[in-house]
Order: sequence, then structure tokens, then C-alpha cells
Amino acid sequence: MPNNVIWTKNLKKSYPLIKSYRDLIRHPFQRNFIQALRGIDIAVPPQTCFCLVGPNGAGKTTLIKILTTLVLPNEGEAFILGHDVVREEALVKRLVGLAIAEERSFYWRLTGRQNLEFFAALYGFPHQEAKKRIEEVLELVGLTRDADKRFNTYSSGMRQLLGLARALLPEVEVIFVDEPTRSLDPQMAEKIRKFLRHELVDRQGKTVFWASHNLAEVEAYGQEVAIISKGKIQLQGRVKDLTDNGQRSLFEIYQQYVQPNGEELSGLNGRN
Amino acid sequence: MWTTRTLWLFFKRDLWEALSYKLNFLFSLFGILFSSATFYFISQLISGQSEVLSKYGGNYFSFVIIGLAFSGVLNIFQEGLPGIIRSAQLLGTLEALLITPTPMAVILLGSSLYPLVYSVLQSLVQIGLALVIFGLKLGTVNWLGAILLFGLTILTYMSIGILSASFILVFKLGNPFSWAFGSLSALFGGVFFPVAVLPGWLRWLSSLLPITYSLEGLRKSLLLSLPLEALWPEIKALLIFSFLLGPLSLFVFRVALKKAKKDGTLTHY
Repeated sequence: MPNNVIWTKNLKKSYPLIKSYRDLIRHPFQRNFIQALRGIDIAVPPQTCFCLVGPNGAGKTTLIKILTTLVLPNEGEAFILGHDVVREEALVKRLVGLAIAEERSFYWRLTGRQNLEFFAALYGFPHQEAKKRIEEVLELVGLTRDADKRFNTYSSGMRQLLGLARALLPEVEVIFVDEPTRSLDPQMAEKIRKFLRHELVDRQGKTVFWASHNLAEVEAYGQEVAIISKGKIQLQGRVKDLTDNGQRSLFEIYQQYVQPNGEELSGLNGRN
Repeated sequence: MWTTRTLWLFFKRDLWEALSYKLNFLFSLFGILFSSATFYFISQLISGQSEVLSKYGGNYFSFVIIGLAFSGVLNIFQEGLPGIIRSAQLLGTLEALLITPTPMAVILLGSSLYPLVYSVLQSLVQIGLALVIFGLKLGTVNWLGAILLFGLTILTYMSIGILSASFILVFKLGNPFSWAFGSLSALFGGVFFPVAVLPGWLRWLSSLLPITYSLEGLRKSLLLSLPLEALWPEIKALLIFSFLLGPLSLFVFRVALKKAKKDGTLTHY
């Protein structure tokens, strides 16, 4: 654990399955579970662009939700900067930022700035400090000019950027992003990738935990990668080492560890 | 840490949203006017004909307008708090709220501020319109008694709202508290008619509902100008309700939040 910003040991999570009416009558007390994480061990060093890749239903979102205190694990331990995500939930919330891919996580009839003002208050910023910080993060993500437009007029890319701006409001060391370039046009996707790697990791020295499906972006921007499949980490290492400095493609390696059988845990698809 | 500024920003967020629906204010005003007018004309038929009403000054309009105005405010907690959780689940904002260090209790309290202020204003407008247009006659108002009763009522109904919100966190829909306190309160709580007209066993049921004591006490202080000592039975009942329901609701909410996090269903709908 020493020196690692994120560290988990034997992290397990299972979700109860929703019963059909027939099962409710036939087996009212029986509970069935689906295993989402089967003992995750990861270690993320500081100031790293860490990418988590894996098929749908592999457990990426569940892992992020546990690390950001939104879901409780069944077994194992997880630490952020040495703090237990279960026992020190309130403290951990002050250490992490989560850029939620969900566009609906904003108030659509408020402007971008009004949304940030509201969330800044939830992070405990006093008025003047909040104003200053909002200007800073808007500038950082390049949304200053559009800050006073209503959120419902934003493009998908601008919504992602505002999500990043919100995650950056508190001065946190660790930022979690869940598929930030999903459904974006190539230029906007590239802008966000550069922002995550060059601005947040290289310039500001933050640790970015980036869940992605796009192996090309991981290869280009990730420093460390973990492949998750069937709720277990199959492989973790430095991108350069795994790909022999670009001699092998990440896709080749990925295929060795992930069977091309589509969705992994059908019960987990769309679990959010 | 969770300053009044945090609560103010919740209020402001809801105000910004409400202001973006420009005609809403105007139409809610019409709604109040029409419901008041309806009950005014009904009262023309029945005022003075009921012995039960004479206990409240004999005027049905005065009786019902107090019931309508205050049950609207109570509804904010009964329906509003679970509604806040439900709409945050549906809108997708719950996760974004819960990732912040703001405790859930502050989120609930903050989110209920605007609806509370709005519904209190609506009640005042309803009473104001009734005074100006429909000739409502209030007694010499016992302000202290009315404020005390109102405060205790809010505490009680906030607890009921938190119980309902806990249910929504885990089960998402089909809230029994809302049904039990909402529908039963409207029918047996003395909103539209005095509970004295109910048969004995139903009067027993109404004695289990906090709204019965709230409305009875508020009518005593607003219409009948009774002193604080005369309001003691209602104050006592509401104190018992708030002492019992307050800690219970907070405990249930904590358990519900933990269960939703364990099941991973916090943001499901």
C-alpha cells in the first residue's frame, strides 16, 4: 500500500438479483446473487493516468462506485490515499472527484455556472472562494464562454467537460472518469483525452482513474493499465512495458485475457 | 461546515428551476383562487346548519380554508421528501449529490426548503384571498400558539417525510407512509370536515393521525382565539409524535441508505 494512491485487496462485490413474481411466491426467503467483483487487487501509484479496460459487465463501474463510496463492498479492503473507503467514507469523499458520464446528473434548466455554484456549495466552498474556483475550473475545461448558457443547450462534449469541471471543483488528488469519451465526436474526444492526461496528470500531478472501452486511447494516453474481466483483474502493468514500447498492440494483449463473447454478466448490464 | 449558505444554495437551485417555468406561478395562483371559490360556494349551502361546526364559529368556509391551507404545507413533507429522492433518482442527480461530502440529511433538508417556503406562501395567499375576496373572518389570532403548533407539526411531518424517503431509497415506488398519512389524513384528519362527524371507531383512527391535532390546534388559535393553555392537548400530542417519530425516522433512513449502498441500487429507479 505505501505510496499508492489507490489500493484494493481482495475486493468482492455481489448484487442481489431481482426476483420474478413466481420466485417471490415459490422461494420467498431465497436470495440469489450475481458476482460483480471476485477479488480485485489493484495498486495505483500517484500522478498516474491509470486506465481500466474490460468488456461490458466486467465490473469497471462497480469498482469505481466502491472507490468513490457510492456502493459498499461485501468483502475486502479499498483505500484512497491510505483511507478506508468504508470506514472513512466522509474523508474519502473529500479526496476524490468523480466525473459522471451520465448527462442527467446535472440540472438541465440551470446554466452551467449555476450548476457549478450549487455543487460548490455542497463541497463547502464559501461564496467568494466558490466564485473564484468556478472561474478557474471553467477556464481549465474551456467552458468560460458558455458558462451562462442553460445546460440543456450544451452539446454532449460540453456536458462531459462540465462533468469534469464539477469533479475538479474540490482540490482533489484523485479523479475518476467513467468512459468520458463515449459518444463524442473525434475532436471533442481528443480534447478530453489530452485534458485528462496532459493537464490533469502531467501538469497538475493528479491521479486519473479512467475506465474505458477504447484501447487506442488507453495506448496513447494511459501510463498504467489493468484489464478486468469476469470481475477479476487479469493483468496490470505499465502500458509501455506490456506493449514492448509499442511493438505489440494493446488489443492483442486484451484478446489474450478477454474472451470475445460479448457481455460478461448479463445481469449487470446497465447497472449504474 | 454545512452553513446556511449550503441550504440557501439548495433554495436558490429550486428557485432558479421554478423561475424557468414562467407560467407555473400564475396558474398555481388561479388554482388557489378556484379551490377557495369552490369551497366558498359550498359553505353558502351548509354554514350555520351544522351543530358540529358551531364549535368552530359556525362558518364552514373558515373551517375548511384552514384545513386546505395547512394540509398543503404538510403535504410538502409527506409527499415532498420522498418525491425529492424519487426525482433525483429519475433525473440522475442523486449520484452527483451523494459523491459530495454533504450529509444526506442536509441534502434532504436543503431540498425541502424551497417547497416549504413555496407552500407556506401558497397557504398565506390562500388565507389572504379568503380574507380579501371571500370575507373570511379570523378571531384575535393567538400567534404564539399558532407558531408553536405549526413548528411542532413541521417536525412531526418532517419525520414522516424521512420515513417515506427511506422507503423510496430501497423500494423506489409504492410508498405506504405516503398512502397511510396522505390519504388517511385527508379523509380522517379534519381537513374538509370536523372529525366529530365520524362514527366512534373512525374517530379513534383520526386520533392516531398527527394532522388531527395540528388542524384542531390551529383552528383553536386562528378562529377561536383560545389561549395557550387551551391548546395544550394538541401541543402535547404533537410533542409525543415528534419525540417518537424523529429518532425513529433518522434510524430507519440510515438503515435504508446502507441497504441501498449494499445492494448497489442507490441510483436505480
